[in-house]
Amino acid sequence: MQPLTTEMILVMVMIGVAVFLFIVEWVRVDVVAILMMVALPLLHLVTPKEAFVGLSSNAVVSIIAVIIIGAGLDKTGVINRMVAPIIRLAGNSASRVVIFISLAVAGISSFMQNIGAAALFLPAIQRISKRLKIPLSRLLMPIGFSAILGGTITLVGCSPLILLNDLLAPFNLKPFGLFDVTPIGLTLVASGIACFIFLGRFILPSGAGPDKESDTAEAEVEPLMAFGEMYELHTPPDFTHYRDPVLVEDLRRRYLVHTLAITEPPDFKVISPPPDTEIRSDIDLVVYGRLEDVQRMAENEGMELKDSLQIFQSDVSEERGGIVEAVVAPRSSLEGKTLKEVNLQDRFRVTPLAVYRKGQTYRAEIDDLPLSVGDAVLLYGSWSRLSLLQAEKSFLFTTPIDTEQMRPEKAAFAAFWLVLALTMVMGFHIQLSVSLMTGALGMIITRVLSIDEAYQSVDWRTIFLLAGLIPLGIATEKTGAAAWIAHAVLQTIGTVQPIVLLTVIGILSTIFTLVISNVGATVLLVPLVVNMAMAAHTDPRMAALVVGLATSNSFILPTHQVNALYMGPGGYRSVDFMKAGLVMTVVFIVVMIGMIYLIYGV
Amino acid sequence: MAIITISRGSYSRGKEVAEAVAERLGYECISRDVLLEASKRFNIPEVKLIHAIHDAPTLLRRMGRDRRRYIAYIRSALTARVRRDNVVYHGLAGHILLEGVSHVLKVRIIADIEDRVTAEVDREGISREKARALLLKDDEERRKWTQSLYGKDPWDCHLYDLVIHVQKLTVEDAVDFICQAAAKPQFQATKASQQKLDDLALACQVKAAIVDIDRDAGVTCEYGNLLIYTPAGERMVRRLQKRAAQLQREIEGINNLEVRAGKPPEGAV
Repeated sequence: MQPLTTEMILVMVMIGVAVFLFIVEWVRVDVVAILMMVALPLLHLVTPKEAFVGLSSNAVVSIIAVIIIGAGLDKTGVINRMVAPIIRLAGNSASRVVIFISLAVAGISSFMQNIGAAALFLPAIQRISKRLKIPLSRLLMPIGFSAILGGTITLVGCSPLILLNDLLAPFNLKPFGLFDVTPIGLTLVASGIACFIFLGRFILPSGAGPDKESDTAEAEVEPLMAFGEMYELHTPPDFTHYRDPVLVEDLRRRYLVHTLAITEPPDFKVISPPPDTEIRSDIDLVVYGRLEDVQRMAENEGMELKDSLQIFQSDVSEERGGIVEAVVAPRSSLEGKTLKEVNLQDRFRVTPLAVYRKGQTYRAEIDDLPLSVGDAVLLYGSWSRLSLLQAEKSFLFTTPIDTEQMRPEKAAFAAFWLVLALTMVMGFHIQLSVSLMTGALGMIITRVLSIDEAYQSVDWRTIFLLAGLIPLGIATEKTGAAAWIAHAVLQTIGTVQPIVLLTVIGILSTIFTLVISNVGATVLLVPLVVNMAMAAHTDPRMAALVVGLATSNSFILPTHQVNALYMGPGGYRSVDFMKAGLVMTVVFIVVMIGMIYLIYGV
Repeated sequence: MAIITISRGSYSRGKEVAEAVAERLGYECISRDVLLEASKRFNIPEVKLIHAIHDAPTLLRRMGRDRRRYIAYIRSALTARVRRDNVVYHGLAGHILLEGVSHVLKVRIIADIEDRVTAEVDREGISREKARALLLKDDEERRKWTQSLYGKDPWDCHLYDLVIHVQKLTVEDAVDFICQAAAKPQFQATKASQQKLDDLALACQVKAAIVDIDRDAGVTCEYGNLLIYTPAGERMVRRLQKRAAQLQREIEGINNLEVRAGKPPEGAV
């Protein structure tokens, strides 16, 4: 074994720093990655060129292309339109719901980001829970786990797998094909679902579920939180005489009626007026609320309730704007803030109407409610304003918002380019990044989405997380630190069977992915395990594959984004994840090793 | 058309004043009735309620907790009563229990300690020293009570619209002043102030209905939209939500009732 050099020690210190920062989260994970990108060349552990090689890596380019393709599919509304038929197929039994939605979510997350697939179905699942009176906690966890497992179906399903081929390159190992992992991934999804169908009642929290008495009437109402309708009112000419000014905010506080639009003399129309707008005499306004509340308001305040929308008919019509549900995303800047602090009204001119949390709809004084991940907020705004908000990415929109900018007619093009990209990979063995970028470019050229929209859709956090950690992998390999650790570990555990080694690697990856991000775990472990495998005369590709797969084995703690998203709405506690997650984790490792053994015969 | 609260120490002739004001204005005069009502409605012996609202808090926490519960009951009974307007209330802590309602005329009647001692000696037939000690103790208890629960000193004249020293001024004079003040427009119920009172009554009613589950919960109400705040965490939120669903059916006038976790805001009941 090589002696330990200063460089090796430095690399190990940097790994220690990275892991430490990942755990304590003093700065965001992507910032840690950028820190590595800068610190490693400064310490002469990698060359400047190597420090930034991640940005031009196949993995990063593939991820960018996958995100653009995903955004293109989203734009055409194809995926959104899949939700309704799947829900219908799922029928009325809890098991069927779990099976169908889990399969759909897994399928979608095999070529889209897992979190997107999970968020897409969240409101639908909440509706089903309410309608069928199945506690949400019995549905969300199986489906969330399936979204994570679905990432293992293809090589583009999750970041660690996309990264895998790049990490194998320095070792001159044969890269994996797009569908090489599919049999393993599908078996994992199937066993995950089976696990919950058969053991669900033992490992899932029973959960109180939605209040059975309170929801008889509203259970059938769609969407989830839409509790009212739009009404137009007119104030009389003497409305402001002999009284304190009535503000938009007053109407909301007193009657839970939200003012969506108002006329300002002489003839301006204001959409989503700020809360301190005064209601003047002889004006028209459109409000959103329950009929009884609106009637009460009209009577108490002396307004005239019109039979239908008149003056504002075209302004608040579905072509111009609408009501959407937006879910607070994990790691969103909104977490812990109140709507008042976020100030959607001023910044985006959209009106929050209600907040839905853990089976409860909050309508009164929602401005003061601190938001948490998974809360759904009902918003009204014009499509253009809502799409600005969407671009900010703090909310996940579960309904397609900009009908104006939606391009359902391009669905065929989107599908064509996806199929073409996949054919290029499979049929012609063209490199993944090139094929996917071709698909992405095709979508842009055929105007499925514009180039600006493509740029906007890319999540720079993911890109820099990937690109920044790649040099750390290079440094571990180049300085010989990986080989040193690998030998040290092997010396300690002695000679082992390949299958035992792979199992140990699987367990190691699982532990790493729980505390640091899945990308971080992959980058750190792949050089290590490849060295270990070579020293132990095991197939190094399989060792790397185990890492790539097992870093999706993140169920015991709610650290995975999907788990974090579902934790709030499902009312889960960490201990619930530990219980069900532990079973799932064991099943995952057994199935994964078993399948690798069966298929590759290690 | 007003609500008049008359705060007084014992033997300060406040009761006399209150009764005379009520008679002259044709208002209802209430004091002990509120306790009786609360005792009946919530099935708590009256003596416990009297202790709760009169004695200074003891060191025993258990007592402290019960006290909060009893006060919620008393406040609920009181607000339900005064909601009908035209009331003179000369029971304890009226000015505090009805805080936030603008058309309440808050009066304090004070008297010289010597006059009070004389009155007590006449009535109870005890020595002057003993009577004085009793009165001072009584005043101190009241002071501690309001201070511990509401952080206010009952002797702070800023709490009242009118402080009348019955010595040179007679009971009759006091009645004149009070009736004159009560006729001022500020003390007439307006639509808004009546709404405030209705909201307060509703909030008190809900608070009384949940206080046995969570004594630290606070309730706010605006135009029949109620919010229950509990600092006790998610589990308590779920318990209260269940109770809230029942209350929404049982209590009239609730437009919307929600429970949320967090510290009750300023002004919550």
